[in-house]
Amino acid sequence: MSRPTWRRASSLSALRDQIRHLEEPARHGVLPFGVAALDLSLPGGGLALGAMHEILGAGGDEEDGAAAAGFAAGILARLSAGPVLWCLRRPDLYGPGLVAHGLNPARLVLVTASHDEEILWAVEEGLRTGRASGLAAVVGEVGRLPMVAGRRLQLAAERSGVTALILRRWRNAAEAAAERDRPSAALTRWRVAALPSADIANEPGIGRPRWRVELRRCRGGAPGIWDMEVADATGHVSLSAKLADRSTAPAGLDTEPQYRRAG
Amino acid sequence: MPLADALSFLPALATSPAEPEADAAALNRLAEWCSRYSPWTAPDGADGVKIEITGCAHLWGGEAALADDLARRLLRQNISHRIAVAGTLGAAWALARFAAGANRPALPGPGEERAALAALPVEALRLDPATAAGLRRVGLKRTGELTPMPRDALARRFGAAVARRLDQAQGLLPEPLSPLGEAPTRRVRLSFAEPIADPADLARAIERLVDDLAARLAREGMGARRLDLAFHRIDGRVEHIRLGTARPSRDPHHLASLFAARLDTVDPGLGIEDVILAVFAVEKLVPEQAVLDSRPDVAASDMAPLLDRLGARLGLAALGRIELRETHIPERASIMTAIALKPHPRRRHGRMGAAQKPPRPIRLFAPPEPIEASWLLPDDPPFRFTWRRRAHRVHRADGPERIAEEWWTEGGSGAADALRDYYRVEDEEGRRFWLFRAGLPGSPPPRWFVHGLFA
Repeated sequence: MSRPTWRRASSLSALRDQIRHLEEPARHGVLPFGVAALDLSLPGGGLALGAMHEILGAGGDEEDGAAAAGFAAGILARLSAGPVLWCLRRPDLYGPGLVAHGLNPARLVLVTASHDEEILWAVEEGLRTGRASGLAAVVGEVGRLPMVAGRRLQLAAERSGVTALILRRWRNAAEAAAERDRPSAALTRWRVAALPSADIANEPGIGRPRWRVELRRCRGGAPGIWDMEVADATGHVSLSAKLADRSTAPAGLDTEPQYRRAG
Repeated sequence: MPLADALSFLPALATSPAEPEADAAALNRLAEWCSRYSPWTAPDGADGVKIEITGCAHLWGGEAALADDLARRLLRQNISHRIAVAGTLGAAWALARFAAGANRPALPGPGEERAALAALPVEALRLDPATAAGLRRVGLKRTGELTPMPRDALARRFGAAVARRLDQAQGLLPEPLSPLGEAPTRRVRLSFAEPIADPADLARAIERLVDDLAARLAREGMGARRLDLAFHRIDGRVEHIRLGTARPSRDPHHLASLFAARLDTVDPGLGIEDVILAVFAVEKLVPEQAVLDSRPDVAASDMAPLLDRLGARLGLAALGRIELRETHIPERASIMTAIALKPHPRRRHGRMGAAQKPPRPIRLFAPPEPIEASWLLPDDPPFRFTWRRRAHRVHRADGPERIAEEWWTEGGSGAADALRDYYRVEDEEGRRFWLFRAGLPGSPPPRWFVHGLFA
């Protein structure tokens, strides 16, 4: 088949456009965190919308994903108001806790399924219907995220402009070790670990809760680690005040435990 | 007679082990298949199927034609059978077992039923063998001989069952048939002259049924919430597609697409002769109108197709919303409710001031998970605890927050547990847990649980 040469130039430029389009991860806009250090590390100055982002837990929380859920709640709180499809194995999300990180639980539609495959299917269905169903975002909690499935999700998110957050939640340490560093099709991969809380002056007990937020992977961006205050009731995170005098080394039993009475 | 003895008499005896469970399952399947004649069918004992055909027989051209059709189809499935049609369940039972022949259904006319019944042996009254033997011993062999006797004398002598069964057979006592499963509120049926198996044909059949149903629902101003599509195969099996909708629906395209999406789960076998679409739950559905409401509510109409698709595959129970309640009982403060329920008009969501209330976890375990804890003073949080075989050392803690109510006693583990003291603790990694102590310090020693995790 002979190819007309006159089409070559235009098709080349069309291809270039297409590639530019593909390489531009933030074509649906971004959601800035409002923290300069974080936003500068992300292409476009914020979390790309209409893309898939992975959020991992750390340590024992890799199984429960509490910190990851809080981080996700903070992001969802600041996304456009609209329902959020949250697909998970067991409905263990607790409304008042979501409120504390800015997410109105009335926005959530929970979808429970016992297998990762079904959860991924539900996430994909949500992403596909996209804007037509008015969804602001889709969240999926899965252990395994095969490359092919991940790519489908990323494509579906790009196409519809709906943001996907995948919380990785592993059943046990063995699964976590096997899956933790496996590459995926997500645009970014975050890891959120609980940090010992920051002291409040003259107050015993638990201070301001904090996270260590790590951007482990980011297409077109720069990885980094930040110690932050957890997302507040408006969903905003902020850089933690400088680690002052508290040593992070585990203290022994001999240290006086700090208790605070309440209730 | 033991099997070994029987075989010694007749070595060529064909034997097969009894499988009561498999038999019962097969009978159940047969009863379900019989629902092609009427929605009210149920297995009866170990060897019978009862079908309530009141109001259904005319669809088949009369009782005789119905019995004929049933006999023909059973024969094709290689099921030997005896069929009787009567005005009461008891009479039909008796006639089927004692009057009907293999190819000769018992169909007494309206006036002949009592006479037909009278000629039958007393065993036809569904009595236990001892009672029947007792009747025979005193010379009462036919049911007709019992009819003129005073009921209370019968009951005194032979037990209340005799009188009750007799009255039931003669229609003097009501005996409702409890159908297999739930009886549908609306039902449409499509039968084929030739069995069909091609998915395209089935899809067309679904469209026709759904159109019929939708027209009917539209006339009544209703929408379907729970539907069952039954495919009756010629080998007597019934395949089902069951689904629920997030909102009442009578949109034929929508319903048909939900069924079509699940059509691949239906095995047509050698062919399907009937398709029956039954509706089990309906709700009022007013004609659509534009909703001028931009709240970010999940009941927003444009989500319904997505929810139905998710529900069709995962089950509607898999979909839910989180509803906040104003209560201090942790389990009740946030509950998962069915997606379809409309939010309570007066209940305000997401207005809980997080700042004023004590902190709450983001994940809550139901039920709370027990931990092994070590603590020093009665009112202290543990300084160390083991949860999921992992030791945690408590570095900081807040509490206690006392939450007391009767909910714990519903579980029935004693009044001492009705009291919970909650602590928010932070371990050496910085993970924050919501622990509680159930019961007061003392003996028996209180038990500790982790109820949730903070983000």
